[in-house]
Amino acid sequence: MATRRHFLAGLAAATLPRLAWADAGSPAYLAAGKLGEAFVLHGLAASGESRFHIALPARGHAACAHPTEPLAVAFARRPGIYALVIDCVSGTVRHSLAPPAGRQFNGHGAFSADGALLMTSEVVAEGSAGRIGLWETAGFTRVGEWQSGGIGPHDVKRLPDGRIVVANGGIVTDPDDRTKLNLDEMRPNLSLLSPEGALLDQVELDASLRQNSIRHLALTPGGVAFAMQWEGDLSEVAPPLGLWTPGQTSVICDAAPQDAFALQGYAGSIAATPDGAQIAVTSAKAGAVMLFSGAGQPLATHRRADLSGIAPAPAGFVATDGQGVVWACDKTGLTPLVRHQALWDNHLIAIG
Amino acid sequence: MLRALMITLAFSAAASTIALSTVARADVAEVVADRILPGYAAFAATTQSLADAATTTCDPATLRPAFQSSFDAWMAVQHLRLGPIEEDGRGLAIAFWPDPKGLGAKAQRQLLAGDPAALASEAFAQQSVAARGLMGLERLLYPDDATLPDTCPLVRATALDLARMAAAVNAGWTGGYAETLRTAGDAGNTTFLTRPEARQALFTQIVSGLEFTLDLRLGRPLGSFEKPQPDRAEARASGRSLRNVQLSLAALRAMVASLTPDVPQTMAAFDRAITQAAALDDPVFAGAADPQKRLKIEILQQSLISLRGVALAELARELDVGIGFNAADGD
Repeated sequence: MATRRHFLAGLAAATLPRLAWADAGSPAYLAAGKLGEAFVLHGLAASGESRFHIALPARGHAACAHPTEPLAVAFARRPGIYALVIDCVSGTVRHSLAPPAGRQFNGHGAFSADGALLMTSEVVAEGSAGRIGLWETAGFTRVGEWQSGGIGPHDVKRLPDGRIVVANGGIVTDPDDRTKLNLDEMRPNLSLLSPEGALLDQVELDASLRQNSIRHLALTPGGVAFAMQWEGDLSEVAPPLGLWTPGQTSVICDAAPQDAFALQGYAGSIAATPDGAQIAVTSAKAGAVMLFSGAGQPLATHRRADLSGIAPAPAGFVATDGQGVVWACDKTGLTPLVRHQALWDNHLIAIG
Repeated sequence: MLRALMITLAFSAAASTIALSTVARADVAEVVADRILPGYAAFAATTQSLADAATTTCDPATLRPAFQSSFDAWMAVQHLRLGPIEEDGRGLAIAFWPDPKGLGAKAQRQLLAGDPAALASEAFAQQSVAARGLMGLERLLYPDDATLPDTCPLVRATALDLARMAAAVNAGWTGGYAETLRTAGDAGNTTFLTRPEARQALFTQIVSGLEFTLDLRLGRPLGSFEKPQPDRAEARASGRSLRNVQLSLAALRAMVASLTPDVPQTMAAFDRAITQAAALDDPVFAGAADPQKRLKIEILQQSLISLRGVALAELARELDVGIGFNAADGD
């Protein structure tokens, strides 16, 4: 019997192999978009061509990709009451995740390196205290939560060693209509959590920059680069970018003086090249992308209406815009790759 | 509200795109030929006259008329934030306002106290954008600080630099960018990939221009009822705060008229606001702090809010464009 059971188990494993991203066409990126009045999620190749597309039930904010399996988690826009686990091969929704009562998803999430754990940025609806929701990924059930280390966490990234960096944006929002309630008192921070959720390190911005909400993150060789959104007087110059190596203070990076207002105080998406040599931040509000060196020196600013998504590419970056165009982006400029029917939403997510 | 207005260009059927863009192309070309190119040419000419005058005298009273004409010419194109004006921070350097931290005055004091070599043409072009341009000249020609040392070399350097930037922007348009805008959608045009994108860009200039006047030119001096801030009005020293609102509205209306003949509600809303602005007897919005006079500024403000709403609806529909999918939606 034992032999037979083993045989059957082996047969099941052989006939039901785990699918990989290759089965979804080996896309390099995930991009959400709007097609007419419908919403879609595309897997895009490095060339900008679509490798698959799946209908979404509503407009999403961002997605995160399972490290090995062709699974994407699409988060609802804030205040988020659901996240969808999407099978990118079959195009079906495998699981619909709802935060526990009194919690709201806050836009982003990250998988552990082995893909066994999904971590989601969340807020306590009343007061916006930050939480990281924990979900096992065999059946995507809730298994716990951590403190995020601040108010209004937005982006969350896993470092290669398994530690987690959370961008606590500092903003208390109305649970129903996203009205910002504490702009005079906000104190954003970056929090470093252990793989078990213990707060290991934290940095705040100088008092003069506390209205610069830290919202989005990109991994760099030393830690993270972070993009900020200025909630103060838009006539004041506010830095769009910062760098943080855990254990050290953060480094604030100014735009070039002539481009001080080029992003209109709003850095929406951020990406860094894998070697850390360049960092890019986009501003859909301003229709611009700003490139920095890995040390945070401004290199170039390029303009393109409604440019928002940005992710690393073999040579520089790939960017997406609200007109449906996928662009190659480097220091010298923007080069159109493909124009799609879908209008690209906020973020472009690199897979793997 | 904005989201409802987002028009999805990419989905127009191919046939209707072609039909529309034949008309649209003529309209974009008309804006370029009738508004943008003459506007920048006039700005280059007036600032050159100012620079010429500044080489012979530094007397503020003598230079003020040329300064005023230069500022008038700027107001015809100030709302344009695309192409050559975006290079090297020219737009910021030409009119660095608002400046809540007083960076411009600070930088000018340093220039006045520092090495005169910084005032040489090439070196001056590298100085802080806050110190230069029309607002820099305004502080020198209408000084409120009697303790300033000899400002003559700085007046001259600033006027020359302004004329140099105006000439560069003008040359950028005549030497390429006008063609880039006119040939939107043609093979090889990687700035405007389709013809509707050019219309979209011009539409964005109009809406942003209205919002600049609404939020900054009116919004800053109005402050709140409890805390009015009339000293924050634009170009107050040179007495141009209201005039800038009037000229900007006129320029935006002219641009709309060149872009499309068929937006009666938008034009009516412009005319209402322009009439109100013309009747407002409050050149630097000092009345922001006086409840009765404040009301008149607030009425103009309300008219601009409604004008923006009408333009976002009617003009967007007519041009088949909208506010960007992401731009309207921060997160």
